[in-house]
Amino acid sequence: MANEFVFEGEELRYSYLERFPALDGVSFQVSVGERVAVLGANGSGKSTLLKILDGLAFPDSGTFRAFGQVVTEDLLEDEGFAKGFRSRVGFIFQNSDAQVFSPTVREEVAFGPLQMGWEREEVRSRIDDVLAMLDISGLADRAPYQLSGGEKKRVAIASVLVMNPEVLLFDEPTAALDPRTQQWLVELIAELGRTGKTIVMATHDLGVLELIADRCLVFSEEHRVAATGPPGEILAARDLLLAVNLTHGHRHEHDELAHAHEHDIRHHEEYES
Amino acid sequence: MEKTVGGTSELMRRAIFNEDAARQPGLLQHLDPRTKIVTLFGLLVVAAFITQIPMLLAMYAGTLALAVASRLSISFFVKRVWLFIPIFTLVIVLPAAFSFVTPGRVVVPLWTWNGHAAGLTAQGLQSAGLIVCRVTVSISLVVLLTFSTRWMDLLAGLRALRLPSILVLIVGMAYRYLFLLLNSVTDMYLARRARSVGNERKDTAGGRRFVAASAGALFGKASALSEEVHQAMVARGYSGDPRTLRAFRLRTADGLFALGAAATTVLVIGGGRLLGE
Repeated sequence: MANEFVFEGEELRYSYLERFPALDGVSFQVSVGERVAVLGANGSGKSTLLKILDGLAFPDSGTFRAFGQVVTEDLLEDEGFAKGFRSRVGFIFQNSDAQVFSPTVREEVAFGPLQMGWEREEVRSRIDDVLAMLDISGLADRAPYQLSGGEKKRVAIASVLVMNPEVLLFDEPTAALDPRTQQWLVELIAELGRTGKTIVMATHDLGVLELIADRCLVFSEEHRVAATGPPGEILAARDLLLAVNLTHGHRHEHDELAHAHEHDIRHHEEYES
Repeated sequence: MEKTVGGTSELMRRAIFNEDAARQPGLLQHLDPRTKIVTLFGLLVVAAFITQIPMLLAMYAGTLALAVASRLSISFFVKRVWLFIPIFTLVIVLPAAFSFVTPGRVVVPLWTWNGHAAGLTAQGLQSAGLIVCRVTVSISLVVLLTFSTRWMDLLAGLRALRLPSILVLIVGMAYRYLFLLLNSVTDMYLARRARSVGNERKDTAGGRRFVAASAGALFGKASALSEEVHQAMVARGYSGDPRTLRAFRLRTADGLFALGAAATTVLVIGGGRLLGE
C-alpha cells in the first residue's frame, strides 16, 4: 500500500551550536498533495524545519520520515537514495542569491538535472520549457548579477521546477518581492497545488493563506507547534495569532474615529465596506 | 566611500562589457574555448622564452591584429594592456636599468661614482625593454582570451581540459559572489555614511576600528552565504562532481588557428635565432 504521508516528524528537536533551540519537540504529518503553510514569528524554527524536510539538517533527537522511510545523514550519503530524494523534493530558498550561483541563468536551471545525470539534450529541452513557462526565456543567457530580485526568484523557482519534483518547499516565498511578483508567485503556488504537488511553505504572509494553503502549522516562539488547522480557522483565532506573535495590537484612526485592536489587514477591508 | 562605490560600479560595467565583447561575431569568438586556451597559453610560454625585442614586438603586432579581427575596440584593448604595465613591471624594470644593478655602457649619465659616470646603461635598458615587451605580449594574450570568451565558456573550457572540477567550480563561484560581496561592502559604507556627520578621517583609531569591524562582518557574511550556497547545491543533487551543460566540438577553424599559432611559434623562435646570430 502506498504511503499516504510524504513527511512525518515525531518529537523533533534541533538546536544550533547546542545552545540555541530551533525546534523543541515538534510533531507533524504532511499528506500527499497537501498544501501546508508553516506560520510563526522570526526565529520560531520554520526555516530549520524546512531544512530538515529537505535533508539538509538532521534533528538532534526525534524521528523524521520522508516517503515512509526514516531519513538520516548516513542514508543521504547513499548515492541512490540521495538522487531519488533530491529529484522528488525541491527547495526554494528565501535568499535567491544563495540559490542562483551559476554563471548564467541557463547553467543555473541546468545544474540540478545535470547532477541527476540527465542527458544534455533532454536538459536543454526541459530548460526551454520551464523558462517559457515562467516567462523568463529572455533571461537565459544573463548573469545573475544582471537580474532584479523578482527575476532572481523566478530563476530560483525554475531551477527547482525543471526537475519536476513531487514536493516543493518554499521558505518565505513572497518576502522582499514587489506586489506584482508576489501576486504572480501566489498564483503559481496555487496552480502547482492544483496539479497535485505537495507544498510546504514557511510564511508570515497571512493575507494569502486561504489561496495557497489547505492547512496551517503554527509555531510558537518557544519552537513548538502551537496549533494546526485550516487557514480560516487559524485566522479566526485572534488570541492564538497574538500569542505566537503573528499579529500585534495597535491604535489608529478611521476618519475621526480612533480605536485599538490587533493588526489584521481584513479589518480595514471590513471597515471600508 | 565614493571610491568604493565608484569601484564597484566600474567592476560591474567592465564585467558586462566583457560579456558584450565576447558575443561579437569575431575571429576568436568563433573558436572553441579549448583551442583558445591551449594556443594562447602556448604563445604565452613562447613569449617567456624569446630574448629578442623585435620578435616580441612582432608578436605584439600579431595580438593587435587578432584584436582587430575579433572586433574588439583597439583603443580599449591597448589601454587595458598598458594599464597593467606600470603596475607589474615598473618596480622590477626601473632598478635594472641603472648601472648599480646592471653594469655596462652608460648611455644616460645621471651622477658620478668614484670618478666614473653612473646612470642608465645600454645593457640595463635592453633588459628593461625586454621585460616590458614580454609583459606587454603576455597581458595582450590574456586579454584576448578573456575578452573573446564568455566567462562560462572559459570555465567549461578549463574543465574540458581536465582541470580539477572542484577548482573550476570554486573559481566560477568566486567570480559570481565577488559582485554580491562588493555590494555588501558598498552597503556597509553607505550605512555608516548615512549616520555620520562631516568628513570622516580613516587614519583615526575609530576609522581603523570601523575598517576592521567591516572586514570581520564581511567575513561572517561570506561564511554564512557559503554555507547556504552549499546547501542550495546539495538540495539539487550536488555530490562533489559538478557537471556543465556545454559540450564543445572542434571545427576546421580551430585546426587552422592552432596551425597558425604553431607557425607563429616556429617563425618567432627561428627569427630570434637568426637575429641572435
